[in-house]
Amino acid sequence: MIRAVARVMWLGLLRDRGALMLAFVLPPLLFFVFAEVFSAAADEDLALRVALEDRVDTALSRDILGHLEALEGLIAQRADGNAADRVRSGEFDAAIVIRDQPSAEFDRPPLLVIGDASRSLAAAVVAGRVQRLLQTEFPALEAGRSIALVEALAGPYTAAQSAALNAALAAMRESAAAEEAQVDGNQGFIEQQLLAPAAGVDAGVSYYAGAVAILFLLFSAFQGAISLIDERNSGILDRLVAGPGRTHPLVLGKGLFLTFQGLAQASLIFLLAWWIYGLDWTSRFGPWLLTTLLAASVAAWLGLLLASLCSTRQQAQTASAFVVLILSAVGGSMMPRFLMPGWLREAGWLTPNAWAIESWQDIFWRQAGVADLAAGWLVLAGIALVAMLASLALTARMTLEK
Amino acid sequence: MSSSSTPDLPVLQVEQVGFSYADQAVLSSIDLQVPAGRIVGLVGPNGAGKSTLIRLVCGRLDPDRGRIVLGPDGAARSHATVGLVPQHIALYPHLSVMENIAFFTRMAGTPSRQVQSATESVLARCDLEAVAHRRVGHLSGGWQRRVNIACGLGHGPKLLVLDEPTVGIDPPACDEIEQLLQRLAGEGMGLLITSHDLDQLERIADTLAFLAEGRVVATGSPRALLEEFFGRRRECRVRLQADAASELIDRLEANGFERDRTDRGLLRALLEQDRAEHLQAELADQDTLREFAVRRPGLEALWRRLYGDSPERHV
Repeated sequence: MIRAVARVMWLGLLRDRGALMLAFVLPPLLFFVFAEVFSAAADEDLALRVALEDRVDTALSRDILGHLEALEGLIAQRADGNAADRVRSGEFDAAIVIRDQPSAEFDRPPLLVIGDASRSLAAAVVAGRVQRLLQTEFPALEAGRSIALVEALAGPYTAAQSAALNAALAAMRESAAAEEAQVDGNQGFIEQQLLAPAAGVDAGVSYYAGAVAILFLLFSAFQGAISLIDERNSGILDRLVAGPGRTHPLVLGKGLFLTFQGLAQASLIFLLAWWIYGLDWTSRFGPWLLTTLLAASVAAWLGLLLASLCSTRQQAQTASAFVVLILSAVGGSMMPRFLMPGWLREAGWLTPNAWAIESWQDIFWRQAGVADLAAGWLVLAGIALVAMLASLALTARMTLEK
Repeated sequence: MSSSSTPDLPVLQVEQVGFSYADQAVLSSIDLQVPAGRIVGLVGPNGAGKSTLIRLVCGRLDPDRGRIVLGPDGAARSHATVGLVPQHIALYPHLSVMENIAFFTRMAGTPSRQVQSATESVLARCDLEAVAHRRVGHLSGGWQRRVNIACGLGHGPKLLVLDEPTVGIDPPACDEIEQLLQRLAGEGMGLLITSHDLDQLERIADTLAFLAEGRVVATGSPRALLEEFFGRRRECRVRLQADAASELIDRLEANGFERDRTDRGLLRALLEQDRAEHLQAELADQDTLREFAVRRPGLEALWRRLYGDSPERHV
């Protein structure tokens, strides 16, 4: 008897493609996404976008920049004069500024690594890589600094000593073993600076308020949209088609409700972030409202599109779990996208999560204006519009041709 | 909103309608008329084309050939004149009876300011006032069926299409729904009903249309159809004991009796009334004869005649 029950369970799983996908395709797929993210974060595969700025423009500084541009793991680009601004805008994960001539003596570290406080990990990783580059490619810088320090403390070197030191420094520049000889020696050359937000809000709060909001907007909208399948299967849509009402008002009404349900949900999350964590919600309410309305609208219409494609409630529940988890993992709802390898980070732009999260980040963290927010709004509005038209057409078609 | 129409003017005319799915013809040259104030029953085995015809009437499909005219004026095809009562309980169980009727009335295009009065009118016409504020999910199957009908009435349709309106409910609830349908017809509404309950159709339908393989194979009032197909013949049913002598069975078969396909102890025949009564008297002393019934043939007999099978096999 026990075997018979197990066999029925097995056949149930085998004949339910959705359950099979959920059981055997989604887990490895999610594992793959997380593995890509965390293996990339742990080694050189983490490709960070870095702005380079050279304020001294000497042969040495140009040489260092050249090495930085060629450095694996950095997607480096010259941004003279406005590197910090471009980090603040989110265009770059960090910036490297050569602000003084790297030399034996300096009042302040000649290299500045600028990061966004919301991505402090990115700045630390970049600083580490620059430090290693200096150790391996420019070992004489640190040694020269030590020589100058000894000279200042013990008096000037003799001509013979100076000649020997210069020869040794030249040999170090050539030495392939220089990397092993230097351990944490160049820390003094680099200063890290994190850009604080205009409104002094915690970076994690402003990020995760948006990341969690879009995740649950999608979950609840997809669940709510499943009622469309019940209405189709119970004959309610048949009744509407037979009369003058047709199906469009029903689908549009559902979209409207799910959009405002999503707005209410997101409001609760941001209200909490404002009340407990001091998120600058009230002064940026207008842009937030428009972004949230658009994000909720996208969630509503994607949910209705999925419901209009599925023929049973079970099928829709399986598909929605699959779609929401994948969109959220790739789109940055589960971990920041800057931690992802380049291809996955770019793939994130195909999800509404990435656009919504970036828009909210622009509003609260970067204090962006309407012009900077317009692109995100247009994309979200476009997704909502396409999903709306598709779900209206599919619902009408499925009802008329059933 | 009023659904009154001049009696006998057609609220639905199906003229030479044909329809095919891919290359397979489902309906061929169908002619059908539903006059105002009349109940027309659509009968046929599964696959005969009833559902397709209903979909065509309700606008879910467009005919390949012929035309469907809704409304007595025969002008534009207007869905405002049609109400559909699906076979399933097509209602929101979490809403009250009144809320359901109001919703479907509004969705059928009734202006907002008229929804309340239209809803109250429907509640009264369908005797639903007592349960108006109860949630549909808490009602019995019979009440739900009645609300299912009521939700097709709010916009004042002239034609009500009902797909198995009494399936799955007990006889008393079924009687009440039959009375409701007759009242609606009495108000001037045309009703097109599909049902496998032939006794019910015989009681309430003014006209029946029997479909087979996409064609109307018989149409007319139940009385006229029975007269046309059976005349003075009577349906004879003989039930034998298991140990009945083969001579008796041979004698019955020689008189035109045939064994029922599913019930081997039952034999049937259509005989002229005089001959049936004569045979009944002749066999009265047979010990192994448990029953010899003679009655006017009903629609069940007509079904067997048209489709060669019992209607129960198609429910």
